[in-house]
Amino acid sequence: MTSKNSKRFDDVRPGEALPELAIPITTTLIASAAIATRDYFPGHHDMEAAQQLGSPHVFMNILTTSGLSQRFVEGWAGPAARFKDLKIKLGAPNYPGDTMTFSGEVVRTDAASREVEIALKGKNSMGSHVTGTATLVLP
Amino acid sequence: MTDMSLSGRAAIVGLGATEFSKNSGRTELRLAMESTLAALADAGIDPSEVEGFSSYTMDKVPDYEIARLLGCKNVKFFSQIPHGGGAACAPVVHAAMAVATGLAKVVVVFRAMNERSWYRFGTGTYGFGSTPIFENVNYGWYMPYGFHTPAAWVGMFAQRYMHEYGATSEDFGRVSVAVRDFAATNPAAFFYGKPITLEEHQASKWIAEPLRLLDCCQESDGAVAMVITSVERARDLKQKPVIIKAGSQGITEGQQSMTSYYRDDISGLPEMGVVAKELYAQSGLGPEAFQTAVIYDHFTPFVLPQLEEFGFCKRGEARDFIRAGEHARGGKLPINTHGGQLGEAYIHGMNGVAEAVRQVRGTAANQVADVENVLVTAGTGVPTSGLILGVA
Amino acid sequence: MAEQEWMSEVRAKVGREYGRVYAWDEVNAPMIRQWCEVMGVDNPLYLDADHAATTEFGGIVAPPAMLQAWCLEGLHMNNYAPGSTDENPYEVLKTLEAHGYPSVVAVNSDLSFERYVKLGEKLYYTTRLDAVGEEKTTALGTGYFVTLIMSFFSQKPEGDEKVGQLLFRVFKFRPANVPKPVEKGAAPAVPKFKRPKPGISDDTRFFWEGVDAGKLLIQRCTCCGTLRHPPAPVCIKCHSFDWDTVEASGKGQLYSFVVMHYPEVPPFEHPNPIGLIELDEGVRLIAGLVGVKRGEIRIGQRVQVEFQSFDDGELTLPMFRPVAA
Repeated sequence: MTSKNSKRFDDVRPGEALPELAIPITTTLIASAAIATRDYFPGHHDMEAAQQLGSPHVFMNILTTSGLSQRFVEGWAGPAARFKDLKIKLGAPNYPGDTMTFSGEVVRTDAASREVEIALKGKNSMGSHVTGTATLVLP
Repeated sequence: MTDMSLSGRAAIVGLGATEFSKNSGRTELRLAMESTLAALADAGIDPSEVEGFSSYTMDKVPDYEIARLLGCKNVKFFSQIPHGGGAACAPVVHAAMAVATGLAKVVVVFRAMNERSWYRFGTGTYGFGSTPIFENVNYGWYMPYGFHTPAAWVGMFAQRYMHEYGATSEDFGRVSVAVRDFAATNPAAFFYGKPITLEEHQASKWIAEPLRLLDCCQESDGAVAMVITSVERARDLKQKPVIIKAGSQGITEGQQSMTSYYRDDISGLPEMGVVAKELYAQSGLGPEAFQTAVIYDHFTPFVLPQLEEFGFCKRGEARDFIRAGEHARGGKLPINTHGGQLGEAYIHGMNGVAEAVRQVRGTAANQVADVENVLVTAGTGVPTSGLILGVA
Repeated sequence: MAEQEWMSEVRAKVGREYGRVYAWDEVNAPMIRQWCEVMGVDNPLYLDADHAATTEFGGIVAPPAMLQAWCLEGLHMNNYAPGSTDENPYEVLKTLEAHGYPSVVAVNSDLSFERYVKLGEKLYYTTRLDAVGEEKTTALGTGYFVTLIMSFFSQKPEGDEKVGQLLFRVFKFRPANVPKPVEKGAAPAVPKFKRPKPGISDDTRFFWEGVDAGKLLIQRCTCCGTLRHPPAPVCIKCHSFDWDTVEASGKGQLYSFVVMHYPEVPPFEHPNPIGLIELDEGVRLIAGLVGVKRGEIRIGQRVQVEFQSFDDGELTLPMFRPVAA
């Protein structure tokens, strides 16, 4: 969850690791998050439809992965951080019963703009579900 | 007394190849047939005259099927050479022996593969099982750790080589930049028109440190075939004969396949040293006799010790040879003028033999002046092979 | 291979801009609250009007990752909000589909934000077909990477304002293996990836049994005393078939190493450091390295064995950790 204390730019150094975040992947999460992002594609809420596509079960949609990535970064940075970008690359699917564990580190800071770049990665039992970067402006 | 030497007895008289791609869109059998028929047409030899075949154990196209489709009636010699790219020169060596002994008058060698589109070697996933056959047990020392790609196996040697001789990632990069420069001007190369810079090499992602992406050869689809017959017959055929002046395979102490880590010294390639010694003995030639060479380049680091094993420079000094650009266009010994497997295509080294043939004929895209002799080497880190091809 | 003729039709469309697609709803608190609830986001900037009033925005804003969600069509495919274009921004994907590339997988989603959007803003986006790559073959199959760039705007009487952008790249492909529908009623299961087990023979069994017992055993020729690893049925020096084992001290030094990055094959963690260890007894072996930092691994550093259990105890492996010299 978001810590109410925001990171300040001056306290952040390249190489700083973000606290890991393990997210249990459930059918409920996949289906409800798909709907909350207005994505009604059947593969995200209907197991039979997903199996017709060759998947063992429903699989997480991209907008949810973006949302969870935001949560992971924001959980570390706090409510005063402002996102400039959130760039993700997708890998192994998230299926119910798995756990996705986010890890990340600060890879760049820029004092002039107070920008901080975070590299993030969400791994599940099949490998990397998501890798990416987020650029934040910190107070 | 009968001359028992292999040297000067047989010649490569026909050369055929498909295009090189990431997805040929046709079967390996078809690729093999396209390249074989092209090689026979190039030689001006009728398919029915073929009496022998040689290829790799890893090739999935059987010799008998090619024989059947060619309409051969009198095939007396067929062999397959193991150890992946270590085979590269050996089908030609076997063919030359078959021709020299009179067992087969005309031999076709080939390598056809849809490696890139059908099965990739670099994925790190292999079906090693639990039956205690040698291979399963042997790879059992590595697979449980996830130490499972050719790049990683080579990386283990490369790290030690760097440590002992002060070679750097930039030195490996200079190999890559030079061969991509040749590929950029070879219309048959996959990376035709796409040279790279050393900065791009250094910025390319890690695959298995100390190897970067641009240290690794391509994965490719395609086929190459050649026709070998006696030097006597070669004189009357269409093409300028390319004489097989020497050929050998090599295994030495402590030999394993990709994992010879238990030798006292792992910074050299002593099996290539065995090949070098034999090639020079058979041909009576030495390092100064070559105008160009095809040095197996599945991964850049192994190019350096090969230059040392063949005496182009002293042990540990290949980095200086490379920093001086002697391996590049305009250097003392331009290597892999087709672009190598980094730049042209990865056809398990047989496309390198083909380039040597073109250099001797004088028909290469990046032709070196006044070529008399060309050295060709095969896969490194494995039981290997080598050839010297030259003018009559 | 020369490209098919129909591809020139596809390529001609690269650079084309497609018209507006409007959001069904204005940016609103209930949708934001539900999104945050499901995602597990509790940032008061999106949820607490009082807190949000104290920020530079003066009120609640939408979570940035929600940007695309506002403009999705919803339950009914291609049912876009009034005012939206009739053009199909995804027509290139349809063309590829018609020519035998039926499957699609998202590869990149790169969101960038000009500013956060506030309650009550009406959004729309336009689409640019940015690129269609050369034909590529991946583990999934053969096809094309297609990149679309969607620009998101907020409609304003004084002139519309760009609020963000999404670079969206998909791989539209012909599957290498046609996906088979999973059998109905089959127990859906997340595939569990395990480390490959070592192949074990009569020549090597002692080693793995030793590892299971927490011992690192080296084979020794009982005739000439030569130690050997990897194990073999016969002595490399005197060719005796007689051997026993000695327990190694487990101490040694790093003779060489690699750090594996790519491809990332489950269940291995990457980067994955692997060492070639020279034991003090004189033999070498390959093993995983633990407790090392990438960039600080040095040839010659002292290491000590430890035994790690994997896959719920199914596999034990000797691993090596750096120790002080």
